[in-house]
Amino acid sequence: MKFTELWRLSRTVYNEISFQSIFALRVGSSLPQKDHDIKQLVRNAQVNTLISKVITTIFIGTFGFTVFMPIAFGIKAEAPKELVVAGGVTAFLAVLLFLIALMGLQVTTSFVSSKIVDVLSALPLSKREISLIIFLCFLKIFDIPLLAALVIFPIVYSHFTGSILAGLASFISIGIAEIFALALTIGLAVFFYSKILRGGRRSRWSTFLRFIFLVVWVIPTFGAYFVINFATQITMVFASITQTFSTIHSVALIYPFSFGFLASYSAFPDKINYSVLSFSIIACIGYSVFAAYCLKFILHSIRQIGCEVGGVVTSAREIVKDTIIHPYAPWFGVIRKDLRIASRSPSYASLFLLPAIQTALLVFSFPFSELELNSIVGMLLGVSLVTILLPPLLLSIEGLAYGYMRSLPLNKKTLIFAKTLTTIVTYAFSLVVLFTVAMLVKKNFSLVLTFGIINSLAVAAASMLELSFFIRKLWKEGSVLGNIYTRLGTFILIVIPGFVMVLIPLIAATTVYFLGSPLVLPIFSIIATLEFTAMLIVILHE
Amino acid sequence: MEQAAVIVEGLTVAYGRFVAVDDLSFIVKPGEIYGLLGPNGAGKTSTIKALIGVLQPRSGRVQIYNMPLLDEFVVKSQIGYVPEEVVLFDSLTPREFFEFIASVRRLKADIVNSRLERLAYVFDVKQYFDTPIAALSRGNKQKVAIAAALLHEPKLLILDEPLIGLDARASKILKELITFHAKKGGAVIFSTHIMEIAEKLCTRVGIINKGRLVGEGTVEDLQRLVKSTEGSLEDIFLKVTQQEMDMREIVKALEEE
Repeated sequence: MKFTELWRLSRTVYNEISFQSIFALRVGSSLPQKDHDIKQLVRNAQVNTLISKVITTIFIGTFGFTVFMPIAFGIKAEAPKELVVAGGVTAFLAVLLFLIALMGLQVTTSFVSSKIVDVLSALPLSKREISLIIFLCFLKIFDIPLLAALVIFPIVYSHFTGSILAGLASFISIGIAEIFALALTIGLAVFFYSKILRGGRRSRWSTFLRFIFLVVWVIPTFGAYFVINFATQITMVFASITQTFSTIHSVALIYPFSFGFLASYSAFPDKINYSVLSFSIIACIGYSVFAAYCLKFILHSIRQIGCEVGGVVTSAREIVKDTIIHPYAPWFGVIRKDLRIASRSPSYASLFLLPAIQTALLVFSFPFSELELNSIVGMLLGVSLVTILLPPLLLSIEGLAYGYMRSLPLNKKTLIFAKTLTTIVTYAFSLVVLFTVAMLVKKNFSLVLTFGIINSLAVAAASMLELSFFIRKLWKEGSVLGNIYTRLGTFILIVIPGFVMVLIPLIAATTVYFLGSPLVLPIFSIIATLEFTAMLIVILHE
Repeated sequence: MEQAAVIVEGLTVAYGRFVAVDDLSFIVKPGEIYGLLGPNGAGKTSTIKALIGVLQPRSGRVQIYNMPLLDEFVVKSQIGYVPEEVVLFDSLTPREFFEFIASVRRLKADIVNSRLERLAYVFDVKQYFDTPIAALSRGNKQKVAIAAALLHEPKLLILDEPLIGLDARASKILKELITFHAKKGGAVIFSTHIMEIAEKLCTRVGIINKGRLVGEGTVEDLQRLVKSTEGSLEDIFLKVTQQEMDMREIVKALEEE
């Protein structure tokens, strides 16, 4: 078959995978059966994946701009220019790697688990052609950000530095970073699908594997978050620590610093430190060989997807000792089910961890000497806002099984109560992190903890408010809202009332504080308690 | 007067402007196995979803053991449901899934465990108890769904195409279970495309076409309706759904080819 034909077929496959990613977020069997609705869904799926690609590209582009600031605008730094630029390029490569991997992980699991290969294999296509179609489809998932980074960055870099060699070095660096990102994406997706989602029996070993996988999975999320937030500091710290002889040589061997040095020295040949450059070139050659191996791995994995019709692993008969189960109260049964499902889905699990990691990052950015109320409010606001993203997510966990769940004798109250409790436990975990960090740095965070504990009432109220909105919508329309990464707009609209509910006591406390009144804590407590009580009454009448 | 297990009156289900079920009425009595028959897209699944509360009807009345569907909690406690498209929680194992169902249905551990042991043996699913549902074949998923529907020993079984994907053994067992359930006084509503099964198993059948009930009764009643004493349920079905003439033309066209 001609390449153009295969390219056309890969577009159909790509559209189907995009559709499946959104279809999985709908209520499966109770999906509206009207032709018009399905067409609308197909269009939504295509727009969603396009938006996801464009947003990733914008992020990459915006961050890339920060690399050029010292070059283009001659920003003065205490460290030498070539080291600042090396740090900037390094940070850019890290962001690129994390963002591509992050974006890829949202869709690649559905790509790996897609049954589309079953359909293709029934057509008169060779295995090689099927593999090629799958590969082209895989590239289509990433095309815009990959091409944009690979083309635009080297051209702009070459233009600002006035060196074609610098442009070429950045081109190679970006190409290799992209290969690493794709290898990380597909490796994790295949591992997730074969060993975790469809893998053998549940055991302590598989639980451990799942935990390790989730830790590895969340690295791109928080890596991107960390590098983007602290880019300037990272670049400056990098530039200052690499001014000592031994450090700079060691750092030149580490990825992606090696490429940072290569790109920087290519731009400023008069500033070359030849021994560092030699170290950097040797490391870059090593990483290039590794990238070639990764590329081979990507092609091999995709070929495997194309060849292994019907999924990666099939179930096998296993020796099972008994059929004993331990039923609990309905609300606890719901919580256990939600946690189990979330722990097996990287995108869900990362949102559970987000408040705690957010707390840890915020704590380290705090002035440790004295804690002002505005710092406390800022911190609680950050953690609360991340926490109240959870309730809609906890409902979207029902996913395709929503139709089945609705057939069970489970009332709205129980569902809201169970999911609010999970939200509060997640929030409380952030306070535990805060307490632990306070112990470690031997600082008195008692005031933050006091406010934090009282704030849990406002968080619970916000959670109940969001859930009651969502559940009403769910009961009435039968549609699940889906994954936060793919349906950001919908989420934001419904989460806003929750945000407002969390904001009210915090704003009131800040206002009272600036007015110089000693009643900050009582007023904060009263408003949070009132919100909680009001929502509790509403929910009890559901 | 005997209490009806299910009363459906003037049920209308619509997706936007498309009416899937149009003014449907039927009654199922305790001890009855009521078959819902109809061509693809006739409205069988929409009817069943409205009966279990997954879909909100546009109009009409549904009562389960004299209770309106609004009394969701009590009504759903009496129903065991097997969906047409077996979509359970894929990342859970059957053990975890049964645990969730038993928790939601407030079943006592000692009672549910003895039932579960029996059901696992009957449907031969014990060896898959700790395997993720995603990794099970369609038939095994179906068995898990059936076992989950029977876990609380419901008075009313609502089964949407329950035999699809089942092996011969499981299929035979399910048919026996359905018959036994009805003999004990329970009621069963089940939809199927397989006419022979409906003919052998059902006490009464209702034939739906384009959302409307076009025929109802025992096979003998329906034979009388179409004025034929020899026709099988398949022939009756084709006749009342006005597909008989089409079918003759199709067969003729195929023969000519």
